[in-house]
Amino acid sequence: MPVPTAVDPQRTPASQPAMEDKPMVVSKQKTDVVCGVPTQVVCTAFASHILVVVTQFGKMGTLVSLEPSSVAGDLSRPVVSTRVLLGQDEPLIHVFAKNLVAFVSQEAGNRAVLLAVAVKDKSLAGLQALKALIRLCQVW
Amino acid sequence: MEGPPAAAEVSLHNFSARLWEQLVHFHVMRLTDSLFLWVGAAPHLRNLAVAMCSRFDSIPVSTSLLGDASDTTSAGLAQRLARKTNKQVFVSYNLQNTDSNFALLVENRIKEEMDAFPEKF
Repeated sequence: MPVPTAVDPQRTPASQPAMEDKPMVVSKQKTDVVCGVPTQVVCTAFASHILVVVTQFGKMGTLVSLEPSSVAGDLSRPVVSTRVLLGQDEPLIHVFAKNLVAFVSQEAGNRAVLLAVAVKDKSLAGLQALKALIRLCQVW
Repeated sequence: MEGPPAAAEVSLHNFSARLWEQLVHFHVMRLTDSLFLWVGAAPHLRNLAVAMCSRFDSIPVSTSLLGDASDTTSAGLAQRLARKTNKQVFVSYNLQNTDSNFALLVENRIKEEMDAFPEKF
């Protein structure tokens, strides 16, 4: 009797109906070397949020919520407020998060962004490269 | 001489199931040490909970990060999956049905998928 292997794309559990053509939740991922460190980015689109994962250690890391503020400021550039949901809450992470994904929030019709960042070097040097990588995973 | 080993590639997995006449969608993102699981009928992210194993307690510690903290469905599911996978587990459960039997059905369906495709979790 053949033993079913774990990696069998044809095998589905008994209760599973036919696989859907397009997933309900759209994601894109990319891997690249940023400042010498292999980095993975995954962007996932939800109705209310864009989930952006930027990881170098195989972890989700610090979780930051970026929300466009309803406070009327300069209408051409809405204010974005950041909140650390999980991990070390320090000024640098707020600045880094804003610089990294504010553009995502604005381009995605002012949606909130949930950023999971596990990056060793949060300097300006890597920031542009990370933004470019996020851009490659555009799901908005 | 090689540097530290690169983390394995992030794995993305989508599946769906018809449970009690409702089409439920699942999205799984697997990292080396973390797991993100989204459950819903429409692409909403109404809440988020996280759980991770603690050396001080046999029950993984869990907390609500987003959404209504009084709804413990996401946190409970995260706890049980954290215990099963030994990873840091994030869960976003976005189904209206609050029947505990339904939630159990959903959870069992997840476990079924984990057994069928362990590399995706």
